[in-house]
Amino acid sequence: MPMTTRVARLRQQSLDAAPAISSERAALMTKFYRRNEGHMMSAPARRALAFQYLMEHRTIYIGAGELIVGEKGPAPKATPTYPELCCHTLDDLDILNSREKIPFAVSPQVRQVYEKTIIPFWRGKTMRERLFAEMTEKWQAAYEAGVFTEFMEQRSPGHTVLDDKIYHKGMLDFKRDIRCSLDRLDFLNDPDAYDKQEELEAMDICADALIRFAERHAEKARELALEEQDPQRKAELARIAAVCSRVPAHAPRDFWEALQYYWFVHLGVTTELNPWDAFNPGKLDQHLYPFYEKGLEETLTREQAEELLQCLWIKFNNQPAPPKVGVTAAESSTYTDFAQINTGGVRPDGSDGVNEVTYLILDVIEEMRLLQPSSSVQVSKKSPNRFVKRAAKIIRTGFGQPSVFNTDVVVQEMVRAGKSVVDARCGGTSGCVETGAFGKENYNLTGYFNMPKVLEITLNNGIDPRTGKRIGLETGDAAQFGSFEELFAAYQKQLNYFVDVKVRGNNVVERLYAHYIPAPFLSLLIDDCIARGKDYHDGGARYDTSYIQGVGVGTMTDALSAIKYHVFDHQALTMEELLAVLADNFEGRERTRQMILNKTPRYGNDNDYADEVLVDVFEAYFGAVDGRPNTRGGTYRINLLPTTCHVYFGSVIGATPDGRLAGKPLSEGISPVQGADRRGPTAVIKSVAKMDHVRTGGTLLNQKFAPQLLADDAGLDKLVHLIRTYFNLDGHHIQFNVVDAATLRAAQERPGDYRDLIVRVAGYSDYFCDLSEALQEEIIARTEHQSF
Amino acid sequence: MVGQKMTAAQVMAEIERDVPFYDESEGGVTFSGGEPLAQPDFLLSLLQACQERDIHTAVDTCGFAPWPVLDTIRKYVDLFLYDLKLMDEAQHRRFTGASNELIFSNLRALSERGHNIFLRVPIVPGVNDSDEHVRRMGAFAAALPHLKQVDVLPYHHIAAEKYQRLGKPYELPASHPPSDERMAKIVQILQEFGLQVKIGG
Repeated sequence: MPMTTRVARLRQQSLDAAPAISSERAALMTKFYRRNEGHMMSAPARRALAFQYLMEHRTIYIGAGELIVGEKGPAPKATPTYPELCCHTLDDLDILNSREKIPFAVSPQVRQVYEKTIIPFWRGKTMRERLFAEMTEKWQAAYEAGVFTEFMEQRSPGHTVLDDKIYHKGMLDFKRDIRCSLDRLDFLNDPDAYDKQEELEAMDICADALIRFAERHAEKARELALEEQDPQRKAELARIAAVCSRVPAHAPRDFWEALQYYWFVHLGVTTELNPWDAFNPGKLDQHLYPFYEKGLEETLTREQAEELLQCLWIKFNNQPAPPKVGVTAAESSTYTDFAQINTGGVRPDGSDGVNEVTYLILDVIEEMRLLQPSSSVQVSKKSPNRFVKRAAKIIRTGFGQPSVFNTDVVVQEMVRAGKSVVDARCGGTSGCVETGAFGKENYNLTGYFNMPKVLEITLNNGIDPRTGKRIGLETGDAAQFGSFEELFAAYQKQLNYFVDVKVRGNNVVERLYAHYIPAPFLSLLIDDCIARGKDYHDGGARYDTSYIQGVGVGTMTDALSAIKYHVFDHQALTMEELLAVLADNFEGRERTRQMILNKTPRYGNDNDYADEVLVDVFEAYFGAVDGRPNTRGGTYRINLLPTTCHVYFGSVIGATPDGRLAGKPLSEGISPVQGADRRGPTAVIKSVAKMDHVRTGGTLLNQKFAPQLLADDAGLDKLVHLIRTYFNLDGHHIQFNVVDAATLRAAQERPGDYRDLIVRVAGYSDYFCDLSEALQEEIIARTEHQSF
Repeated sequence: MVGQKMTAAQVMAEIERDVPFYDESEGGVTFSGGEPLAQPDFLLSLLQACQERDIHTAVDTCGFAPWPVLDTIRKYVDLFLYDLKLMDEAQHRRFTGASNELIFSNLRALSERGHNIFLRVPIVPGVNDSDEHVRRMGAFAAALPHLKQVDVLPYHHIAAEKYQRLGKPYELPASHPPSDERMAKIVQILQEFGLQVKIGG
């Protein structure tokens, strides 16, 4: 269906609106915290009352023509800040306002409010400051060297997704559940009974706060309806008012109420804190199907359902990711906030999950062509080819969506990690590629981990050659290693050491959030926080996973393969010579570099020599992380994804033994080094599948195709076969860029003509012209397959 | 020049890498060329190895080989992609340098023995694309006792650059690829003979 005039206008408004910083949330939080300073109040109570205060006092926005209502800030793209976690300085604000890429407008009024009120109150009190102060010297040294990053230094642990519960229960029903839990508290035998009571009462306040927030929208809609001249819009406003009075207090009765309910919940979660990956409705096609089916029997049409979905899509796109400060601006700078809506997959009983709403959503994705929400198709062996092919047709249009996931492996991953089969089937993937049990799990990404940096430190006996500082263990002079195994053992020792340092830090960070910044609103949505009387940040969720995301698998593999092949197996050069050329960044040694680039067995070519090294690299990382306990009763797991961190991590590493020059980006996701794969996509897939995806919580594979390869139906069929084969081999995820290098070069030269060019980065799409130059170059350098 | 010398075992190792893809797409190996029948022993050992491993095989050939060669390999071939260029004996000699007599008799012999055959007809404007010639090909193909499909392949210039690299003169430069309308018409003529016809392949 072509877009209605309403949708076309709202969509264009969303695209045209310039992101700006709104100080409203920060100012309200400051007022609340100042007023309550010194009050004897538990942390959950304080957070709940703060949430209630926000929901009662923030601006209510209903835009002309909107059907789904509510914004995170006072207007579309007016972006709130979270000073209790991380308070922007005036310098930060000036940079945000003036930087060339991903700017946020900062008005003089906002700057003034920050200067006069917000900064003076929060300076010295924020989570970010507390967190860094709690970290050990070893942690600080590794962090500054770029061995790992820390996710929670300016955003709260999020990484969770909703299941189907809000489609059956209103906030009043949640309040009843909370009441039951309170009634069951055993103050005589449970030493935590009082803490649980505080937490449960906090959740109860939050449920009321969301109902009130919706009611304020109903009031606003009624006001607007009174003034409205156009009878059609008047009726719409009356309907909006009725919907907002009904949900979220009660369970939704129809398609419209279901979408509006979700959106209020989304705003609640993302206003309470700034959780990673923004939150998302998960398996929207399965959640909405009963409302759709019933609606069609009554008055709903496919066109109306589509329009309502489009209105929801625009709402997502109106919310840029919270602007960051400091090092993470370089790690990951984007407006995208990683809400990833899943379609397809399987039902709780294991049957195929594809339904008519799946196809409706795929239509919406193609027509809307927006950065947010991001979308994925979950393909199981039961998924019909029609579904995969429909997705392939959207992929062919070249904006990197939807990404494609292997449901059967995602379920296996979760079952291996101890989840019930049914919970696993109700789960899926979020953010970039992360596996989780929707509605029942807190699965934090805690930070990226720079494997090639650890190799560099190993080759330098514990010293970071960039600074000359000793930050790692003394694992021996690399020139003295007599075998590849000796070198690898030293690397593993170094790796375990840095993972220890990272985990020690994480385990403190988790407690800081549990003690000081609980999230009672999010908690009431995630099982079993209500039943346990425990906060989401404090082990309330049924499952609790901490991920550490490994970066640079391809670079690591090629680097080790080069050492093994040239130094130990063929003695083409000595370790001393190699270390010397690396220190000199291959200067004057281009022949050596070319030999390494062209003669090394490299990952991505279905070459067993290289791929055996890959498996070693994988197993070492898995062994260092998997199975460690976190503080929430859960477990550490690995996943392998970079977002844009492979660029930052590359910038802190000198030349590497695979021939990579100093400062250049690392390989991305689990993809081969850019340009190293020379035998086509089938060889890439064979190589990549040699690591055991089932023991991860997600891997990310990017493939780039020349557009003409998918131009006809036969090309699409081949793409479908490629995906299915990768999944038969137990691959977790694959995504595609379908745009040629000439177009990307042209966009670099004339960005004005290519403002709307969207590319796949790593687990998300972004406007090409908004990417840093280093990242643009990295994407162009990725191998472009000209044939299957 | 590109390419390298490989043993049958090396080629099989390469082929086996792609087995997961064949299994998923119901695909397999196509032996083409040059002319695969020009290396009959090598081809035979590869075909046998494929059959042992349950890999589907296709042989893309111009059919110009002694019958005993075809007769030896045919039981290991799942599908023949068999070229049909010109019906007229003299014309065939002029453009390919060889008679079409053996080609036709081999084709009939394979067809009579029930093999799966796709006829492959390159359409070269001004050479073999006249209505009359297409009808002759249609009548010939329809008379074969066993034929799966006819692929009509619009002529293209890709080979010109290869000839240049080999330092050989390219003698068909004046031909242009046939138009879509012309191709559609050719398909229609062939279909009138009751043939299963596809463009490209």
